Amino acid sequence: MAKLEVRDLHVSVKDEESKSTKEILKGVNLTMQTGEIHAIMGPNGTGKSTLSETIMGKSGYHVTQGDILLDGQSILDMPVDERARRGLFLAMQYPAEVPGVTNAEFLRVAINARRDQDHQISVMDFLQKLDRNLSLLDMKESMTERYLNEGFSGGEKKRNEILQLLMIEPKIAILDEIDSGLDIDALKVVSKGVNSMRGKDFGALIITHYQRLLNYIVPDTVHVMMDGRIVKNGGPELAKKLEAEGYTGLRDELGLDIPLVDDDQ
Amino acid sequence: MNEQELKQISQAHNEPAALWDIRQKAFQLIAKTKLPTMQRFSYQDWPLTTENDLSWLPPKPSNIQPTQFTLLGQMVINHTFPEEWQAKGVRVMDMFQAWHDDPTTMTKYFAKVIKPSESKLTAFHYAYMNSGLIIKVPRNMELKAPLELNLIQDNRIDGGLNSHVLVIAGQNSSCSILQHWSSLGKQVNTLNSMVEVIAEPGSHVNFSALDEIGVSSTVTFNRRALIKRDAEVNWAVGMMNDCNTVGDIDAELVGDGSQAHSNMIGVTGHQQHVGINNRVTNRGKHTLGLINQRGVINDQSELIFNGIGQIIHGAHGSQADQQNRVLVMSEQARGDANPILLIDENDVEAGHAASVGPVDPHQMYYLMSRGIPRKLAEQMVIRGFLGPVLDNIPSANVRQHMINILERKLKNE
Ligand SMILES: Nc1ncnc2c1ncn2[C@@H]1O[C@H](COP(=O)(O)OP(=O)(O)OP(=O)(O)O)[C@@H](O)[C@H]1O
Ligand SMILES: [Mg+2]
Repeated sequence: MAKLEVRDLHVSVKDEESKSTKEILKGVNLTMQTGEIHAIMGPNGTGKSTLSETIMGKSGYHVTQGDILLDGQSILDMPVDERARRGLFLAMQYPAEVPGVTNAEFLRVAINARRDQDHQISVMDFLQKLDRNLSLLDMKESMTERYLNEGFSGGEKKRNEILQLLMIEPKIAILDEIDSGLDIDALKVVSKGVNSMRGKDFGALIITHYQRLLNYIVPDTVHVMMDGRIVKNGGPELAKKLEAEGYTGLRDELGLDIPLVDDDQ
Repeated sequence: MNEQELKQISQAHNEPAALWDIRQKAFQLIAKTKLPTMQRFSYQDWPLTTENDLSWLPPKPSNIQPTQFTLLGQMVINHTFPEEWQAKGVRVMDMFQAWHDDPTTMTKYFAKVIKPSESKLTAFHYAYMNSGLIIKVPRNMELKAPLELNLIQDNRIDGGLNSHVLVIAGQNSSCSILQHWSSLGKQVNTLNSMVEVIAEPGSHVNFSALDEIGVSSTVTFNRRALIKRDAEVNWAVGMMNDCNTVGDIDAELVGDGSQAHSNMIGVTGHQQHVGINNRVTNRGKHTLGLINQRGVINDQSELIFNGIGQIIHGAHGSQADQQNRVLVMSEQARGDANPILLIDENDVEAGHAASVGPVDPHQMYYLMSRGIPRKLAEQMVIRGFLGPVLDNIPSANVRQHMINILERKLKNE
């Protein structure tokens, strides 16, 4: 069992051009544990990716207040790789390309990074696991011999993020817009992959703009984020309501004073 | 040492008059010439031409693993080739033996690609040359297996090494040569290593070099190929020395339709200073010259890559392209990648790309977010960075060996 707690999290970034700091997260509270699927929705630029990158530990995101706990222990001082080895995973909105390193080699190194010297995965076990997950995700074997994400299409990159999820088997995964740029079939395949992980030892935080994804991966809880805060929590029906009414309706209902991109001004 | 002493030593060594003639002229040039200047790299105060001595010492015993041709210091300690090569006229032999047996061939080819008069370093080299070998591949002969040269600087003894390798690739012949440099012992010495390649028309030479000299040496190297009509020479040099090194890799595309691919990987660490010129000169028509260099700079070291592409007037329809990239792995490291293009003809294609910078933080973050520790992630990114050049190294063994040294150099910080 694992538990992730985000407490009153404030995060600032420094704008490289203007040298000014900007507060992006303004007090986020969120608790989730294995066995649960959470979804976060919210308008563009409200800080969803900032939250996920901060949880993962990307540099440049400065926590000015609050804390992030994994199983009761603060992870703020831990480097990225240690957070990952403790069970966190982030499927990124924009995965990096790493030429010269094959996908298969990368997966094996990633799996072995969380095992000690005497318990490295055997080639046989690795290949079997890889085969199983490739067929689950309808991916060609040749994808694993290509360099990591290099020249992958947008959809292929997303699928490859889910392949990593299935191979690494983290305790808690954050999926940042895993559905963006996917065609309908790919969306189903990716959802199938995530659903196959569902169980008492796995929890996910799904960031999406489209309620459609949540038809395939039905969440236990839906959070709405606006202007650096979580402004509303609910069940799957909250996502449906948002899809129908948009964020403006919710903002006005909550009496929030937040400018939204789709405001007609 | 004066000229008279040098002459006595040359005579005592049974060197023919033709070789003495070269030595004598070179000796006189030392005082008249200067060290070559290198863009953005200063090495003028290095002790490169101070150990002016010429002597022959028997090798001390050691437990090195000999390969096909092994030269420990000045002495050949192993020399085994397929009988077939011998029968078909392939010659691989000690430089001085070759001068003794066949001064006519030596006079024809020796010191023709790199001339003694070019600089103080070349003059010094020819005056004090004290080790070397020649390789001659007869016309139309195809050497199927690579020829491995294992050259070892013996730093258990005091004294510089001036090593000369001469490769004569006959018309339409083809061969792959691997020159592996290493050292034994910790005495402070210089190594002046020269390679001349003469690629006769239609020949094809793959020359790979793996330099692994220890920290107590100071190295200059000069590797140059003269490439005749429709011939091709591919350099693949891994500069993995632990010591200060200044070097030149050259391809002279003199014949029409000739080609050169000049691949170079350099890895530096600690307080090391390394400057490399990688030069391709298109002289013949329709010649093709590609330079591809990748460097990784660790610790407080310095690595300068100059890519020098020159297209001479009259080299119609030629192509020159170069990529010079260095990764700077620490804040105290210093690196530069300078493309220098000198183009004197119109109907040619020339291009260049250069970059100097740290490992891509986005790639590092991505790998680490999968639990891969920083050091390992760095190694993976570096492997990827070197990939385009590593992929051009013909022998899988050499490639793997380079990767192993590379990983050792990255780890031992
Ligand atoms: N490194 C950074 N430097 C400067 N500004 C940043 C940085 N990272 C994020 N921001 C800004 O913070 C705000 C929140 O960005 P974030 O990517 O977290 O939004 P998001 O909710 O994920 O949006 P989207 O739905 O478009 O993905 C944006 O205004 C963005 O420009
Ligand atoms: Mg985002």
